[in-house]
Amino acid sequence: MNRGDGDTDRRRRFGSLCESLRPDLLRFAWWLARDRGVAEDVVQESMLRAWKSFDSLTDESKAKAWLLTIVRREFARSFEKKRLELTDVDALVAAESAVLAAPGDTRTAEMREAIFRLDTDYREPLVLQVLMGYSTKEIAEMMGMQQGAVLTRLFRARAQLRQQLGLAPEAAP
Amino acid sequence: MMTCLEFRRRVGAEPAAAEPEVLEHRRDCPACARHQDELRAMDGLIERALKVSLPAKSQVLVEAPADASRRRLLAIAASLVAGTAVGIVLLLSAPRASIAREVIGHVTHETGTMDTTAPLTPAALAGVLDPDGARLRPDVGDVTFAARCIFDGRVVPHLVVRTPSGPVTVLMLRHRTISKPFHIDEQGYEGIVMPAPKGSIAIVGQGVANLDAVAQKVFDAVDWGR
Repeated sequence: MNRGDGDTDRRRRFGSLCESLRPDLLRFAWWLARDRGVAEDVVQESMLRAWKSFDSLTDESKAKAWLLTIVRREFARSFEKKRLELTDVDALVAAESAVLAAPGDTRTAEMREAIFRLDTDYREPLVLQVLMGYSTKEIAEMMGMQQGAVLTRLFRARAQLRQQLGLAPEAAP
Repeated sequence: MMTCLEFRRRVGAEPAAAEPEVLEHRRDCPACARHQDELRAMDGLIERALKVSLPAKSQVLVEAPADASRRRLLAIAASLVAGTAVGIVLLLSAPRASIAREVIGHVTHETGTMDTTAPLTPAALAGVLDPDGARLRPDVGDVTFAARCIFDGRVVPHLVVRTPSGPVTVLMLRHRTISKPFHIDEQGYEGIVMPAPKGSIAIVGQGVANLDAVAQKVFDAVDWGR
């Protein structure tokens, strides 16, 4: 294969990954940022970074975890400080009301807002576990934490959701 | 054997937990088993809640032509992804490539966008232009495609405007400043890149009669905002 073919193949593989994984990346970024515009920017920047280091991805079956890690780092690097300046959760809820809406499904809408109101420390592992399907061990690796700490955060995330939704409180670990 | 507290800590973090000791406790403690079932049901609700609908801004084409076939829309969506990747390639592998090559490279990888015929809604167009504070006067022609694309490492508005002389692609390049206009004639496309109040603007078409006049009209219709 000549260099041109290699570049074409590399481009095709990257394009294919972007196409299939972008919706998940965008959802993950949105749940991190709680801001549609920021999420779009984070994903765009992440894709640029991913392209630059695409050669480091040796196992494409792990592309999703690789890209999610790039997204969370990009968010932390570029946008988290900006978001910390905007801690008025009610304002964020109002600004993202279109995304939070679940027409005809009150329970989902209530749960969506409850998750939205969780602290990032609890929201992020919950998204990785329930939406992305990662084990607590994998989440610990992605977040650079001990598995026990991830388990504690997940327990507390669900306990807070139960509390927000008026369900029976849970014993603290 | 697991205590109730240990069991609830375990399933509170992972409702799907099914290790032998978890199953054993479930068998012996109906209350804890019921609690785990509730948590599993709650996880189903959490999963539904997490699946928010976030059509990308670059997919405003979903609101485009009612008469366009699904196949064409998919082709355009695919070309957007390919165009993004190609844009990145151009940025990284040919940083000295001319604006002309980059413009034509982008246009040729999104050729399907030129076939769109139904006007976008004002809201769809605003979704693409608002982030830059820009506007486009409607008298210039129907906008049948609008997206925010990666071009030269930046996110830029990409429009298709159906003028009386034919459809033209418009790229608003705030980050690329030029001192004077120049023409493009490559790969069957003709275009003009003009200095703008914010960077530059590229207007490209195929077989567009009196392209300079069309380009000037498009240029005059753009309010570059802040």
